[in-house]
Amino acid sequence: MESRKQDLDTIPKLLQDRAFKYGHQQIAMRKKDYGIWNEYAWQDVYEHVKDIAYGLLSLGFEKGDKITIIGDNDPEWFWAEWAAQSLGGAAVGVYIDCIPSEVKYYIEHSDSTFVFARDQEQVDKILEIHDQLPKLRKVIYWDPRGLWFYDTSKAVDIKILEDLGQKYAKDHPDLFEKYLSQGKEDDIAVFCYTSGTTGLPKGAMLSHRNLLYAVGVLEQYNRFLPMENYLSYISPAWLTEQILGLCGGVLIPLVLHFPEKPETVQVDIRDIAPHIIFYGARLWESLASTIQVKITDSTPLKIFFYNLALRISHKKLEAREKGEKIGFLLEIFHRLADFTVFRSLRDRIGFTKNKVGYTAGAAISPDMMRLFHAIGINIKNLYGTTEASLISLHRDDDIRYETIGVPFEGCEVKISAEGEILVKSGGVFAGYYKNPEETAKVLKDGYYHTRDAGLLDRGHLVYLDRVDEMIELSDGKKFSPQYTEIRLRFSPYVRDVMVFGGEDKPFVSAILNIDYDNVGKWAERRKMTYTTYIDLSQKREVRELLKEIVENVNSVLPEHARIKAFVSLHKEFDADEAELTRTRKLKRKPIEERYKEILAGIYEEKESIKVESQVAYRDGRVGTVRTEIIVNYLN
Amino acid sequence: MAGEIHLEMKNVTLGFGNLVALSDVSLQLRRGEILGVIGPNGAGKTCLLNCISGFYKPQKGQVLYQNKDLLKIPAHTIAQFGISRTFQNVELYTGLSSLDNLLAARHIHIQYGLLSALFHFGASMREEVKHRRAIEDIVKLLEIEDIRDHIVGSLPYGLRKRVELGRALVQEPEILLLDEPMAGMNVEEKEDMARFIIDINELKGTSVMLIEHDMGVVMDITHRIAVLDFGNKIAEGTPEEIKENPVVINAYLGKA
Repeated sequence: MESRKQDLDTIPKLLQDRAFKYGHQQIAMRKKDYGIWNEYAWQDVYEHVKDIAYGLLSLGFEKGDKITIIGDNDPEWFWAEWAAQSLGGAAVGVYIDCIPSEVKYYIEHSDSTFVFARDQEQVDKILEIHDQLPKLRKVIYWDPRGLWFYDTSKAVDIKILEDLGQKYAKDHPDLFEKYLSQGKEDDIAVFCYTSGTTGLPKGAMLSHRNLLYAVGVLEQYNRFLPMENYLSYISPAWLTEQILGLCGGVLIPLVLHFPEKPETVQVDIRDIAPHIIFYGARLWESLASTIQVKITDSTPLKIFFYNLALRISHKKLEAREKGEKIGFLLEIFHRLADFTVFRSLRDRIGFTKNKVGYTAGAAISPDMMRLFHAIGINIKNLYGTTEASLISLHRDDDIRYETIGVPFEGCEVKISAEGEILVKSGGVFAGYYKNPEETAKVLKDGYYHTRDAGLLDRGHLVYLDRVDEMIELSDGKKFSPQYTEIRLRFSPYVRDVMVFGGEDKPFVSAILNIDYDNVGKWAERRKMTYTTYIDLSQKREVRELLKEIVENVNSVLPEHARIKAFVSLHKEFDADEAELTRTRKLKRKPIEERYKEILAGIYEEKESIKVESQVAYRDGRVGTVRTEIIVNYLN
Repeated sequence: MAGEIHLEMKNVTLGFGNLVALSDVSLQLRRGEILGVIGPNGAGKTCLLNCISGFYKPQKGQVLYQNKDLLKIPAHTIAQFGISRTFQNVELYTGLSSLDNLLAARHIHIQYGLLSALFHFGASMREEVKHRRAIEDIVKLLEIEDIRDHIVGSLPYGLRKRVELGRALVQEPEILLLDEPMAGMNVEEKEDMARFIIDINELKGTSVMLIEHDMGVVMDITHRIAVLDFGNKIAEGTPEEIKENPVVINAYLGKA
């Protein structure tokens, strides 16, 4: 990372500094478009930010105003956000699959005066609610497709905004620079709305200081070199992308790469071979299952060598975990395995130059961590929360899969009597917007109360579960459903799972979602015929397969936490039906409520349960699916 | 924009032996409009399209376009006059990638000769880049970036239909003839396809003749509709007029 002068204390100031230093000589961003990588030099980026900022000023943007941004990762998102920050404003990121009422909540609650929206789909959402948002001045879009004939008094193309800006700049020279130089490190840079597993989303306010701190601590455990390749893929609505992409991008600085579309990322990532990758736990899980499925589909010879190489690699990892010396022969074999098998595997998935892969958001199973390390990917658990930014990370030479790493230097971590993780650091946020009561609840004596249950073990932090999610069983023993769920989800055939248990339940049970693609392929290989998800999920062979997976996981669990019965659900959990959050975390209460009849059936030890569920179609119609699902019991 | 006659069929009669497929059909496609052609199975809708694209030669009548009678022009040259079509059953090179399928359709615009293609630099290279760019525009329009390099034979049906539409579009037609572009698609795929057709029509001003069975789609996106029944044109008008027309209801739409 480049050293930072003390007076460069905001992200826009850093951007200006990089633009002066690198001008047209160095690339700041690459965006794949029309099948090729289009480059933006630092000066280009700076000019865009400036034009957009002037454009906003010409439309009445005032210092401290907020903008809401909704779209995929694109250079325009970054420019708009930096433009608002240059003028002393803050940005609010919104996930693209939010429904209009959710978008309205974010815009309204944050008092946003401008909205940047990617395309017609998003613009339509906002125009639908435009009349109910008196503070909203204008919607600005950057993909004009289908928007050619829209009313420009409400929504305009970002290019028009930039033109307005250039004109405004002629009459107001140096105004932008004046605003920019007035920025202070304690100014609020972003609002991150907490994903809302409980109640209404709260807008956590993070300052430039918070973000710069977070990138700074990452540097403690990884040396970043300037101009390393970074893939911007995680939504900037999530704090982690704000830290790595939007702040790290200018502080380190990195070359930011934007995939053509979310669907093309597998191809695009091979073009880039990024040095640093940040994936959510779900993405790592899907990568692992893709690798496993592709290998299974491969020729017997390749499968043989893959398994052999994996065994060698696991042996070496085991020795390293136990602190044993690695034998000369093992070292040679491992190098051979890496050269012949893993090198090309890494190439296939775009990891040839990768130095570090971060995972966060939800815990990832130790087995999967081991798999990635075995194939030569340096994956690390990164632990943080929206309110306290980054807290802990694995060190290169000290990776223990079951932990979430070692707390950063300067980050004070303690465990409360209740078992809750408390944090005090430069990353702790400024509070929730317009919500001092909630802020007071979580910020006490300078410590942020995470509501995460954890423990400190030989310097490492271990995450157990949300404090509120730890469940006491009828015999008084505690267990963590999440821990079991993660282990089950490691199977490529299990897409989602929720585990149930508690004082009111005689034993632990589970509702599983099969992975339609992978189980479908598995069935095809066995020449099984099936019609729909419903049909496939209830096939005897599929249930046997699931039984085997559950038994495997049970074998590593203590007796009281083992799953005694499960069903394979007739549908997938769906964010649109409020069963998952937008980051694909389970919404436990709604799921338990919705499937209470199934649960009742399981605990009455019925053989099968008739189900009827409402399904909402794309066009808004609602239909009913009736079927019968079978309960599977284990010994 | 709509109003000026872009293509006109005059008293077209087509028969196969004793079977009359089209009898004395006259129809006008106006510039910049989306014209729906509907009717029961065997009404002669596809025959109509085949007469325009030169697959069939009617016994009587004229198809007037750019002051020429298309019936007097060889079928393989019609695309060069700016008329492209898609087929009811997808007709693509299944062994080639989506991109190669689109490139192949560009051949009518390629200027360089065999010799300069052999030495792939200079003018021919510049031209190739130009064509690739034109194709990428269509790739982007139809949102098929992620299947650019996929072999067409391995694609699901809905996507093949999209590639086929792309192939018609890269020829930069003035008139686009679509033969049931949404057959066999699910609701979501139909919505996408409908949006593409509207985008093409709005963005490029392409006149579209659309054969489709899904009444919801036809009523939604077309400007005018012509109804065929047993080779006769029984009605013509705006979607609202067609919905109310007793003859059409009797022959095709059915009573509610």
